[in-house]
Amino acid sequence: MKFRIFSPLRLLAQTVPGMGKRVLIVALGMAVSAPCLRAQNAAEANTDKQTIQMLLQRIERLESRVAQLEGTHAGAARTETAMTVHPPAGPAAGPATTPQAAPQTAAQTPEPEQESEHLEPERMDMSKTLLRIRGFGDVDFHGIDQRGNTNAFSLGQLNLFVTSDISEKFKFLGEIVFESGPDNFYNVPGGRRNEFAVDVERYLLQYSYNDYFNLAFGRYHTAIGFYNTAYHHSTWFQTTTGRPLLFQFEDSGGILPIHNVGLSASGRIPSGPLGLHYVAEIGNGRASRSPLTDEPVQNEVDENNYKAVNLALFARPEAIRGLQVGFSAYHDRLMPLGQPRVDETILAAHAVYMLPKFEWLNEVVLVRHGPDGSSHVFNTPGFYTQIAKRFGSYQPYFRYQYINGSDREPIFPDVGRIEGPSFGMRYDASESVALKLQYDYNIARHIQSYNGLTLQLGFTF
Amino acid sequence: MRRLLALLTMVGAAMLLLEVSPGTAKGDPSPAAQASADQNLAIIVNQTNTIDDITLKELRTVFLGERSHWPNGRRITLVMMDPGVPERKAILRDICRMNETEFSRHFLQGLFTGEVFVSPKTLSSPTGVRKFVFNVPGAIGYVRASDVDGTVKVIRINGHGVDDPEYPLRFEARDSK
Repeated sequence: MKFRIFSPLRLLAQTVPGMGKRVLIVALGMAVSAPCLRAQNAAEANTDKQTIQMLLQRIERLESRVAQLEGTHAGAARTETAMTVHPPAGPAAGPATTPQAAPQTAAQTPEPEQESEHLEPERMDMSKTLLRIRGFGDVDFHGIDQRGNTNAFSLGQLNLFVTSDISEKFKFLGEIVFESGPDNFYNVPGGRRNEFAVDVERYLLQYSYNDYFNLAFGRYHTAIGFYNTAYHHSTWFQTTTGRPLLFQFEDSGGILPIHNVGLSASGRIPSGPLGLHYVAEIGNGRASRSPLTDEPVQNEVDENNYKAVNLALFARPEAIRGLQVGFSAYHDRLMPLGQPRVDETILAAHAVYMLPKFEWLNEVVLVRHGPDGSSHVFNTPGFYTQIAKRFGSYQPYFRYQYINGSDREPIFPDVGRIEGPSFGMRYDASESVALKLQYDYNIARHIQSYNGLTLQLGFTF
Repeated sequence: MRRLLALLTMVGAAMLLLEVSPGTAKGDPSPAAQASADQNLAIIVNQTNTIDDITLKELRTVFLGERSHWPNGRRITLVMMDPGVPERKAILRDICRMNETEFSRHFLQGLFTGEVFVSPKTLSSPTGVRKFVFNVPGAIGYVRASDVDGTVKVIRINGHGVDDPEYPLRFEARDSK
């Protein structure tokens, strides 16, 4: 059996006499040029493939966007109206002023998404976790040569710093601190030794409207001076092993209302290169001395209707990067048990210069207590200066501090006068672990001077 | 007639040459300048951002989280590339003037004090940075000038476009090491 292969060329040659040779020549030419054309087509196909891929991606985006818009809006007419109601403001809105002349279609693509964001209320994404936790801790070995004291290893504060971006404008910030040891209110020891307790040291809902106006509602660190808001409950951030005496926490012998519960507004002040900032706060203030066993931070109940107010202003001039100078004024009315009411005014000023490799902190505070019915005002001045320079992983530092309270002070008569220098060395073993060795020499009014030595391992995790 | 044809041919050839090498005729940078521009870092923002030009000082406040909102009220979201990437090294060196450790610590402390409202997002590729900036109205990031496409907007720095010889942001070969 013979098979005959069908050939259109042969058919054409048979059908049209005389055309056979010409057709064969043309066919031969096509056969010769085919590889060249194929190579050219391959390059073009590659480009086309990329273009198609891009177009498909765009179509997918647009389709999903259309589906979303159809779900949220009644119809296309309303969408168009909305888009014209909210044009991007400013000179960049027009394509003529756009620095890079992007293709018009590409430039138009993002607009519907972003315009619609103005229309829709902020929503919580239930599919993702909003909480972020960062930990800080320290372990110490310390001792002082004062009679009745022993050297000991001690666990410092274990701090869980929690933040959550609730929405574009709202954020939660909290510090949950586990700490051991007895309390010490105004230099009067209390509470139980070696027992761990949990404190919510900060508990804030922040609202950020713009650079000039931010609100925080909850428990915060009072903006008195610099140190209190620059360093919170983490020793790892601090160059030294601990806070200056002036800024000790309320339950560690501190004299200031370190924490406050209330409302805080802060932001920049339009001031050009001067870099002015403000903080304005209103809160419950600190509880009065009596009874000493009470929690000094008035988390839930205020002992009076008068609210503590604080105003701070500071400048960060552009010309000297790292410099910050400022002052603050705080006022509250205290109601110590069995004593007349006391007007409390705290004035603070600071000048700090902080660079990544150098720091020089200087702060002065004056606490004024004026009992009702008396013309006498009790002034308690205090200051500290601290200087540190970094050499690679090593950072030697020096601090001198001073507080002088009257023995007849109506709120904290046991504080008295205390002053002295501290020397130390910080060694950053890694980005997250710092080893510090600090020597303190303290001179006090009614007790013998004493030396202290602290070895601290501070870390973040 | 022949002269006219010759003239037309010359004009046509000239036009063809102009079309083949448009850069020389349209005032675009020379090949050397173009190669240099390819090493420039483009600061990119979302297309709806009204900002066109920014000073290096302002850029520093943005990249250090000291400024949290754009003039249009949108919250600034900073996009950084992975540590060790040449583009990131250049940004840390030329804008932040910090090393990697100092930068991390600066942001951690800023978040801790509450002064920095949101931490930077870290992405590994220029495509990822572009997509993020495209999708987030307040985002700002950086990519090589050669990685820019029409989905994002490039802003000038100190009045200089990314192709200008005076453009201040560029990564160097040593950044790639």
